[in-house]
Amino acid sequence: MNIENTKAQMRKGVLEYCILSILNNGEAYPSEIIDQLKAGKLIVVEGTLYPLLTRLKNAALLSYRWEESTSGPPRKYYQLTEKGEKFLIELASTWNDLVKAVELTRKSKN
Amino acid sequence: MNQTLTINISGIVFHIEVDAYETLKSYLNKIKSNFNNSEERDEIMQDIESRIAELFNEVISDGNQVIISLDVEKMIAIMGEPEQYITEEEEEPIHSKAQHTRKDKKLFRNPDERILGGVSSGLAAYIGLDTVWIRLFFVAAFFMGFGVLTYIILWMVMPEAKTASDKLKMKGEPINIQNIGKTFEEEAQKVNEKIKNMDTEKFSVKIGNIIENIVTAIGSVLTTIFNVLGKVIGITFLIVGTFLLVTLIATLFGSTAIISITNEGIFSIASYDLFNLFFNSEDEFYLASFGLLLTIGVPIVSIIYLAIKILFKIKSHYSVPITLIVLFVIGLSLSSLVGIKVAKEFATDEHLIKTEHIESSSSILVLKSSNTEMPGEGIVEDEITSISLDEELLYLQFVKLTIKKSESDSLLLKTKFSSHGSNYKEALKNAQTINYSYDMLDSTLQLNNFFSTLKENKIRGQHVKLTLYIPLYQVVYLDKSLKELIYDVDNVTNTYDKKMLDKKWVMLEKGLTCLDCENVKGISNFQLDSLKNYTSINDSLTTN
Repeated sequence: MNIENTKAQMRKGVLEYCILSILNNGEAYPSEIIDQLKAGKLIVVEGTLYPLLTRLKNAALLSYRWEESTSGPPRKYYQLTEKGEKFLIELASTWNDLVKAVELTRKSKN
Repeated sequence: MNQTLTINISGIVFHIEVDAYETLKSYLNKIKSNFNNSEERDEIMQDIESRIAELFNEVISDGNQVIISLDVEKMIAIMGEPEQYITEEEEEPIHSKAQHTRKDKKLFRNPDERILGGVSSGLAAYIGLDTVWIRLFFVAAFFMGFGVLTYIILWMVMPEAKTASDKLKMKGEPINIQNIGKTFEEEAQKVNEKIKNMDTEKFSVKIGNIIENIVTAIGSVLTTIFNVLGKVIGITFLIVGTFLLVTLIATLFGSTAIISITNEGIFSIASYDLFNLFFNSEDEFYLASFGLLLTIGVPIVSIIYLAIKILFKIKSHYSVPITLIVLFVIGLSLSSLVGIKVAKEFATDEHLIKTEHIESSSSILVLKSSNTEMPGEGIVEDEITSISLDEELLYLQFVKLTIKKSESDSLLLKTKFSSHGSNYKEALKNAQTINYSYDMLDSTLQLNNFFSTLKENKIRGQHVKLTLYIPLYQVVYLDKSLKELIYDVDNVTNTYDKKMLDKKWVMLEKGLTCLDCENVKGISNFQLDSLKNYTSINDSLTTN
């Protein structure tokens, strides 16, 4: 088994949660989101983000507005919707449970 | 120095070198092909292009006005290789992938999973059940009798899933690069297994192959026969249809005759002239002809049209059948309207009666009919012309003769002239204009077998009925020429009219009795002899 593959799988699972968390702090456009995710080494390439953002928007978890830019084409500014906020809360609790479970498993090995 | 193209990404204009453009284009296409849902795809592509435009913008400056391959490669490094884009719909695992709607699937035979022909597995893939159930169904059907035939029919009708895309269609899976790749892998695996199992190839698979070849062969033979048959039918329709159509037009609008050959001989009608005799005006006639043409012609044309379709595989426009139906309805209405108008001309009938005495020079009255040709031009002819006409007159052969007992001692000929008309006056007028004649010479009464009337009166069901009243003990000889004239003559022996001819008959108390038939019923021999004597005394003529 390829370790890079597994790593990518793990990151993928968490990506949605992270994007929603980032947007919880305030609206942002894709490059900003990417920068934060790169800082946490969660994303290696930007391409991963765009399809995900569109899907989250289509699922009504995100919404966006257009903003004109001086240095290029207009940009989408994303923000959480109410549904998105609820989603985030649930994901947060799942994440907490997951962390606890993993810790438990690791400890029990010793 | 290099060639430059001008493109726009997300609405921003860029100059880009040719090879860089190729790289960029192929990159974008690869990403695009990863997405199945076209709505999502467009939106995502827009976002991606927008980001690419941003990145390129940072590279462009006054000193560096063109995007080169290196820039594109750097962009790809930032954005990621196409494979790194998340394309799988995260929500899908909730729905079972195997449950595709029927609309996405096509019914194929599955050659990879078969015992006989892959019919069961193909059906299973389409319906969504396990192959085992379908096979059980066929076994049950086999014992119920319809299994074999159904299976064979399905085998011949279902196409084999040959290509990878066929196989995907069979299972209803979307055709994209991933799935096709998967299909290839699966196939490669199967080939491997087959190679391993070659020696131990199942007997049933071998039989299956042989049967498959036979069925395919039969199938193609049947298909060819069917095609040929179709063509033959098509040609037949075409020939028959054209012939009928030509005949129809000629009949209605030309002066040709319909000739029909029946058991009774050749029968011909000059329909144009005949039709004209029914209608009061030329207009009516043309309307009726046109109506008839449509009513009969449209079905004929439909047959021809069908034939051409079968033979030449022309696609038909939906307007054609509609036009045909409309024309047919018009024709039917026209014909009906005119038909009703004509029928009105026959609304009532009237008759007038003329009675005359006949004097015979002997006690045997000879009844004959003139068999001369009817005058004028015949328009309805069978053995004898029944309708003919010349410039002014119409000749009709609708004369009938019957014989009854007279109340008095004398011979009486009653002539009844009848006709139809649109009202009482018309009918009577039509009856009055009938002209009928006969000749009484010595002891022979020669009756015409036709009458004449004015052509302008048209055919209105005119007929002449003759009743000859003969007194008791009068003998009549019925000549053969009366064949068409004689009608419903009562006689003691109930002999059929035509069989009464060429014989002598005598009127007795009980009715007409045959004198020279073999078994003479109804009179005593004494009476018979005395009668014969009676007639021979007064009669010096030899019988005809």
